[in-house]
Amino acid sequence: MSAASDSAEIAPDRLTYARDELLESGSYAAPLIAGGVRCHGGFDESGAYRSPRTIHRMPAVRAWQARLARDGHALLEIPRAAMPPQYPNVEQAALLLENGVRDPIVRTLTVISIVEGFGAIIRDVRVPDLASLVVEPIEGTALAHLGGGLFEAHARDESGWKDEGGHKQMWEAARDLALEKPKIPGDVLLRMMGRQAARRRPERPFPQLDETLERMLAIMAQVLVVEIFAEGTFDWGYRLLSNPKVSAAPEAAGAMVAHIRADESPHVEYLRTALSEVRARTLRTVDGKTLSGRSVVDGLVHRILRDVTRTRPQEQRDDLRDSLAEAVKVAPNPQRLLDELGALDTEWTPPAHTGFEPAAG
Amino acid sequence: MRVASLAAYLYAIYKLPALARRLLGRAKATDRELAPTHRRAAAAILATALAMRGVMIKACQAIATRADVFPPEMVETLKQCHDAVPAKPFAEVRAAVERELGKPLGAVFARFEEAPIAAASLAQVHGATLADGAEVAVKVQYPDIEEIVRTDLRNLERLCRFYEWFDPQPLELLPLLQELTRHLGYELDFRREAASADRVRAIFADDARVVVPRIHPEHSTGRVLVMERVSGIKITEKAALEAAGLDPAEVVQELMGAYVRMILAAGFFQADPHPGNLMVTPDRKLILLDFGLAKELPEGYGLGLFELMFSMMTLNESAMIRAFQELGFETKTGNTDTFLLITRRMLARSESGSFEGEFTEEMTDELFEAIRQDPVVKVPSDFVLVGRVFSFLSGIAHTLGHRANVLAAMGAGPPG
Repeated sequence: MSAASDSAEIAPDRLTYARDELLESGSYAAPLIAGGVRCHGGFDESGAYRSPRTIHRMPAVRAWQARLARDGHALLEIPRAAMPPQYPNVEQAALLLENGVRDPIVRTLTVISIVEGFGAIIRDVRVPDLASLVVEPIEGTALAHLGGGLFEAHARDESGWKDEGGHKQMWEAARDLALEKPKIPGDVLLRMMGRQAARRRPERPFPQLDETLERMLAIMAQVLVVEIFAEGTFDWGYRLLSNPKVSAAPEAAGAMVAHIRADESPHVEYLRTALSEVRARTLRTVDGKTLSGRSVVDGLVHRILRDVTRTRPQEQRDDLRDSLAEAVKVAPNPQRLLDELGALDTEWTPPAHTGFEPAAG
Repeated sequence: MRVASLAAYLYAIYKLPALARRLLGRAKATDRELAPTHRRAAAAILATALAMRGVMIKACQAIATRADVFPPEMVETLKQCHDAVPAKPFAEVRAAVERELGKPLGAVFARFEEAPIAAASLAQVHGATLADGAEVAVKVQYPDIEEIVRTDLRNLERLCRFYEWFDPQPLELLPLLQELTRHLGYELDFRREAASADRVRAIFADDARVVVPRIHPEHSTGRVLVMERVSGIKITEKAALEAAGLDPAEVVQELMGAYVRMILAAGFFQADPHPGNLMVTPDRKLILLDFGLAKELPEGYGLGLFELMFSMMTLNESAMIRAFQELGFETKTGNTDTFLLITRRMLARSESGSFEGEFTEEMTDELFEAIRQDPVVKVPSDFVLVGRVFSFLSGIAHTLGHRANVLAAMGAGPPG
């Protein structure tokens, strides 16, 4: 959770908020300017960074979490052990940059910025009439505020809003600061789309549920996993871009990644809170029966973790391998560089279990 | 001059009655009252286009894909231009093919269908079987089309110059005409078309959902193109698609995905996506035909277009202004407020914050309308062509009753 300075003077047990409150940032002593672009968030009088739209959002999330705890329900925990390592790892990425091989890293950083921006699609997630689909009351929960500001705040954080840049622009700024506004490889989007072309729309895991509800929960679970796994990306980005051996602006670029990381905390917290609230409730099915929220959320998380841990590491390796042979030609000794990269590789085996297997649920 | 006669006729049937109504203090004619006029106008436009072929047919094809802009009577009538242009007699076709290949028809083809599969603005297509048994489609350029196009363009240039003299605040039509002239030059060179088809096929090398017919270069020339024969359902035939078990919404999304991949990701695209050039197979493969008008964008332009679309759809105004500038838009004063005004008009159309593909319909239309109304903006020609393509795509989506989501096509779609 972010620092207490993110919070307004709000009663800790207040559970209901207006949309505008959840979108409110308050004022800053100084704005955040990244690479000449005005971004969201800013600095307080002490110079500490304060995330956008947290003045009410953070106290609200804390209050909803406290209520869950009072009612005896645990918060959903996504196991960090399931998080695949970033490829290339920090040492490999630094080695490439030190040898003048910039394209793979520039491409990776650009893809990160685009994927961050894509997070804004959450504002278009349709929220069904939850009161009719959930057996227990939902007043005073995160669940009741999804369409009332939480999704919109998340979207604005990721892609920017009006005259403020968001995480997409902040990642671009970090890249441009560290690597001095590098030329963006022309194949960035083609590689992204190529990966998508191979994917198929999965079958509905819970066809007995209202489709809009199932879709909303699936998206929330997916985004939560992505957000948690992104912590590895933040760590990678911070360590690489704040390394003075490869970064032209180690302090500024590293700070930018740190700001993004701080902004992401509210996303993880509201998503896990709302999903935990579903786990603590009962859902109505389209045929008039009921289903435990826990079985639905855990089933969705299991599927996502299983797919992500299986596909993501290999995708990253395939992407890099495709471009590396060509990219290393700019290095003084391409073959030696490839050998050194191989020696720095990190072994990683996906966990045998996600911890959310249906039998365990 | 046919075009001038047509213009005078259209002026007479639309403007004079409107003027009379105004003078008599009567309300504007309703759509229903105008329907017979639209039918008469469409018939006149079609007759002129079919007589002139070439450039006029290209214009009709554009109108026929914009059911959201033009009245249904006009769209329905002008649809004939997509693939129902009256064919040239087979004797002329045979002579043209033999002249181009330098040998009798029977020396190359075991069978050659006298009735064309389709006839379009610059060429017609016949089914045939090569000597080795391969089923092919043979695209044959009309023998006299180069001269017709040259004459049409000369006439259009005169009209544009007259318009610019006549209208005190004219649209800058001449640069657009120059662009059209350049593109028609490309379309008349079938060797270039063959190379473009190969290039687009390579873009989809890892995606079996998109089919680009293979070219037989050994039997092709600058005016005759021999390619693999493929068959499918015309993309705007909604009932036929549904009868084949295809979901029109998915077809629209696949189509958008293919074009987003070509334009934004690869920077090279088939720039003539009228329905006659697009088919779908019953196993849900999209067939792209006719690469006469293919366009290569400058390096990085696709990413710039993506940034513009993305910033528009995420309501990020500052990012929009940067994207406009990076794409080459200019204002005479250098003041970026103009971009902001244009983009705010577009945002007003998506104030809901919707990500659901609005760019391809309302936002595209609003963008061009805003640009058209603000003469200080210089629009890069590459952008005009891309805008035209998205306009065609939105017309097709509209015909099928769906919208295409650009971001989902990029892979941003939420998990199913």
